[in-house]
Amino acid sequence: MTDLLSLAARHGYLLIFFIVFGESLGLPLPASLALVAGGAATAAHTLHAPAVLLLAVSALIIGDSLTFTFGRLAGWALLGLLCRLSMNPETCILRSAESFYRRGKITLLFAKFVPGINTMAPPLAGSMKMRPGQFLRFDLAGACLYVAAYFTLGFVFRDFLAAITRGISTASHILAAILFTVLAIFLAYRIWTYKKSPHNLVPRVAIEELALRVRAEDQNVVIADVRSHGYYDARAERIQGSIRFEPNNFAEEIKILPKDKDIYLYCT
Amino acid sequence: MALLLKQNGFNAYVIVGGLAAWRKAGLPLEPVPPADMVKLPTFS
Repeated sequence: MTDLLSLAARHGYLLIFFIVFGESLGLPLPASLALVAGGAATAAHTLHAPAVLLLAVSALIIGDSLTFTFGRLAGWALLGLLCRLSMNPETCILRSAESFYRRGKITLLFAKFVPGINTMAPPLAGSMKMRPGQFLRFDLAGACLYVAAYFTLGFVFRDFLAAITRGISTASHILAAILFTVLAIFLAYRIWTYKKSPHNLVPRVAIEELALRVRAEDQNVVIADVRSHGYYDARAERIQGSIRFEPNNFAEEIKILPKDKDIYLYCT
Repeated sequence: MALLLKQNGFNAYVIVGGLAAWRKAGLPLEPVPPADMVKLPTFS
């Protein structure tokens, strides 16, 4: 921590810019500490407040704009990828999208204070086609709030900087430990449910075997696409002749499935 | 999903490797019909 503060004093503006920029791209860098150090250095007349604030906000906006653009280009693929890790991947995309749609703008204001969310909010806004102007307004407000909060903390309490940085460091370690524990429990749960699930009771069929029946135009074959991902992407493809089986609407979907035919299910 | 279908009396099977294996084998694909697309909320 002391090393970081002395580095900030020596390299000042450049260091603050790159630490904040790196964190906005998702790199595990202590942007909040850099801003606290920047505030303290300003109070000690080592750095100039307007330059520090302008550089920090610019770094956040540039980084967030890059990830926002990435989200716009990647479409729903990014959310789909993240949802594969969720408890219920089949409904995760829809629920996440609806949740962010309802709270996305407010989320952008406060996302930077929450590890993980700070990295995900801009690309998600991009995936959901938020207008760039609108995104920039909310992101700028969020960036100003974040930078001002930590800068002010360092500026006002520069005499207690060591205690503040220790506090932030301890809080970060505690948060990391909690996140690690939750992740470990989640992984253990997923492994346990996978081992417990009777997935081996369902017959599995090789592509070649099914392709033979399809080529023979076997009328007793129904191929059903049970993906929840992919169908959100306008360029999505599926197996020729297959039907859609919406996993989120199971009770209704089974009413139209024939019981006298072989139903082959696939996802990604 | 397949297990649920079996429990409901359907002859359900799982395609090993899914769509990726089908594509890799060079078997025919088709675009998803617009009517089947799920509309997610967007800001624009």
